[in-house]
Amino acid sequence: MKAAEEAIRSDAPAVRVVVVEDDHASADVLQRRLQANGMVVSVAHDGRQGIALVEELLPDLVLLDVMLPDTDGYDVCLRIKSNGATAPIPVIFLSARGEVVDKVRGLSCGAADYITKPFQAAELLARIDAVLGQARSPRVPRLIRPVERSAGSRMVARVTIADRSLSAHVEQLLAPKFDVADGEVTPDVLILEGNAAQPADAPEDVPVVRVTAAHASQDRPELTPVDAQLPRIVDLVVRERDLEGDLEAAAEALIVLASAIASHDRPSQGHSERVAARAVDIGRALGLDESTRMTIRLGALLKDVGNAKLPASLLAKHGELTADERAMLERHPLLGEEILAGFKRLSGLLPIVRHHHERLDGTGYPDGLRSEQIPLEVRIVTVADRFEALLTDRPDRPAVAEAEAVRILQGAVARGELDAAVVAALATQIRAAGAK
Amino acid sequence: MKTRGDKVTTKVVPAHETDAERRHEHRFQVSESVARLVMRTTANNLPLSRDDRPYQWSTTTYCDTVDWSIYRQAKTGSAMQLRIREYHRTRPREVLNPGTAWIEFKDDEEDTSLKERFGVPMDSARSFLRGEPTLPNLDHGLAERAAKLLKGGARPVVVTQYNRLAYNSLDSSLRITADHNLMYFALPWAATDGDEDPRPLGTLLAMEPNVIVEMKWYGERPHWALDLHSYLQENTKQERPSKFIVAMRWLLGDSGPEPR
Repeated sequence: MKAAEEAIRSDAPAVRVVVVEDDHASADVLQRRLQANGMVVSVAHDGRQGIALVEELLPDLVLLDVMLPDTDGYDVCLRIKSNGATAPIPVIFLSARGEVVDKVRGLSCGAADYITKPFQAAELLARIDAVLGQARSPRVPRLIRPVERSAGSRMVARVTIADRSLSAHVEQLLAPKFDVADGEVTPDVLILEGNAAQPADAPEDVPVVRVTAAHASQDRPELTPVDAQLPRIVDLVVRERDLEGDLEAAAEALIVLASAIASHDRPSQGHSERVAARAVDIGRALGLDESTRMTIRLGALLKDVGNAKLPASLLAKHGELTADERAMLERHPLLGEEILAGFKRLSGLLPIVRHHHERLDGTGYPDGLRSEQIPLEVRIVTVADRFEALLTDRPDRPAVAEAEAVRILQGAVARGELDAAVVAALATQIRAAGAK
Repeated sequence: MKTRGDKVTTKVVPAHETDAERRHEHRFQVSESVARLVMRTTANNLPLSRDDRPYQWSTTTYCDTVDWSIYRQAKTGSAMQLRIREYHRTRPREVLNPGTAWIEFKDDEEDTSLKERFGVPMDSARSFLRGEPTLPNLDHGLAERAAKLLKGGARPVVVTQYNRLAYNSLDSSLRITADHNLMYFALPWAATDGDEDPRPLGTLLAMEPNVIVEMKWYGERPHWALDLHSYLQENTKQERPSKFIVAMRWLLGDSGPEPR
C-alpha cells in the first residue's frame, strides 16, 4: 500500500514533501502528482530557497533536482545533511544526469535514493514509500512523534509482562490510580517482570518497577511482589521522580536570585541570561547533548555569583583598577565556587564557575590552565561571555556591532586565548542571522 | 600454542608510502563542466589510482598548535603539515573513527611538496597524537619533525571532507585528482589523553564552490599533461592555496573568499 493512500485511509498525518526543482513545469506536474496521492507539497525553485524551506518546514522528505540555477543539488543535499535539525530528513535525487558517477556522487552525499528522469510516477511513488518506510523505522525516532498528554491527567503506567494473567492482575491492581498506556503515550512508569529487558521503544528517563509473582525475598530485593502494596510502591517511585524535578526547580530559584544579584553589579540588565542563551546556542551548534547544554546554561547563569562576596564599591568602580583591586576582582571565580560547593546537585557546573576566565594559552586566571585542560563547556561560556560583553557599552569603551565583536574574538583566537572552533560556531550563527 | 595467562602483544607494522622525490603541485578551482573534460582526458591517459576508490569520502584532520605556528609558517609558503586521513564509503559525521587511519606528513615549499604517510589502526594514530613513539623514522625524517610539533602542543583543529577522483601514472610521477563537495569543518580542542571515542565534527565553516583539480608531478610530463595544464590555467576561476590554508582561513576568520 502506498504511504499516501495509507495516510488518506487512516488518520495518520499527511506526508510533507519539499520539492526543489528549477523547471516550473516539471515542478508543477510533480506537485500535482504528489498532492493527488495525499501529500502536502511545497516547492522551491533554487537551492538557497530549498534549504530555507527545508529548515523552516522540517518535512518528511525532500525531492531534489541536481541541476539548479544558483548551486547544484549535491551542495543542497550536503547542507541538509550537515545541519543537525535537518540531517535525518531523507533526500531523493531526481535528475536527468544518469551516469554512474552522478548516482554514486548523489548517494555518497547522503541521499536515500537517486531516480533518473524521465521516470514513471508509479516508480517514484514506490520509491518514496520505500524511503519513508525506512525513515519511519525505530532507528530514526524523529519521525515518530509521541502523543501529547494534557496536564493534570491521571498518571500512566506501561505494563510489559509476557505472562498474560500476571499482566492482567497488575493492571487491575493499578487501575484505581493509573491508566495503562497503549504504547503510544509516554508513560510515567514502566512495569516489567523480573529481569526482563526494557522494550526497545521505552523512553529513557521513565522510572522502572520490576515485579514478581512470588512473595518478597531478601535474595531479590529489587523485585516488588504483585500484591495490594504494588499501587502504593509504584506511586512512590513516580513521586520520587517528581521530587527530583522539584530539586531542579530549587536550583532554578537559586539562579534567579544569583541573576538578581548580578543585575546590580552589571551596567546592563540581563547579561547572564543573554550569555546563557548564547552559550546554549553555541553548544547546540557543536552537537552537545541536552544534558550538557543544561550544565552550560546553569554555569553561565551562576558563573559570576562570587561577585556577591566582593565589595559593592569595587564592582561599581569606573576607571582603571589598582593591582590590589584587580587581584581582588580576579578572586570572584574562587568565591563563586565556594558559594556553590555546598550544592551537591550543582557540582557539575563548578568548573564553569571556577574557570570561565582561563585562556587556552595559559594566561587566564585563577589557575592558568592551558588548552585541553579547560573543558569544552567552559570554553563555550567564556566565548559567549566575552561576546555579549562586547555588545554592551562600558565606561572604558562603547558597544560594538555583532560582526565587529566576532572579529575581535577572532583576534583573540589568533593570539591563542579562545577556542577557534567555538568562535567559528558563533561566527557562523551571527553570519546566518545576518543573512536572514 | 598459547596457554591461559600468556600475555599477547601485537606489534603494529604500519603500511608506509612516500614520494620518491619532491613533487610539483598545482591546484585549480574549475567549474563542473571543465572538471569533467579534464578528467575524461586524464582517464584516456592514466589509470585510476589503486588506492583511491572513486568518490569515496576522504576525511582529513589537520593539526596545529595553540598559537597556530603551522598555519603561520604555511602562509609563508613553507610548512610541515601533520594530518590524519580516513576513507569511508559514506560521509562520516565524526573523525578519528575506528578502522585504518593514515598518518600523513606533508612538507610544503613554494612550488613543491614531499609527502610521507603511514597506514595504522586508529588506536595507533591516537597514540601518535598523544606523542607516543608509534612510527619508525624513515626516509625523509618527517616523522621526527612531526613528533616535535606534537611535543610543541599540536592537536587536531580543523577537518576537510570531499569526494576524490584520482588518476595515477604507474610510476607515480604524475597524479591528477578532482575533488568534489569539498567541505571545511572546525574541530573543538579536546584532551588527547581523554576518551577513545570518535570526535564529532564541529561547525561547517564553508563549502568550496566548484571542483578542485590538482596536478602533481616530478620529472618530465607528457605532452597531453602539459596541454591539460595550460587548459586548466586558462579556465581556473581562482589561484588555490592548499586545503589546509583555506581551512585555517575559515577557522580563524582570516581574509579569504566569501562563503557561499
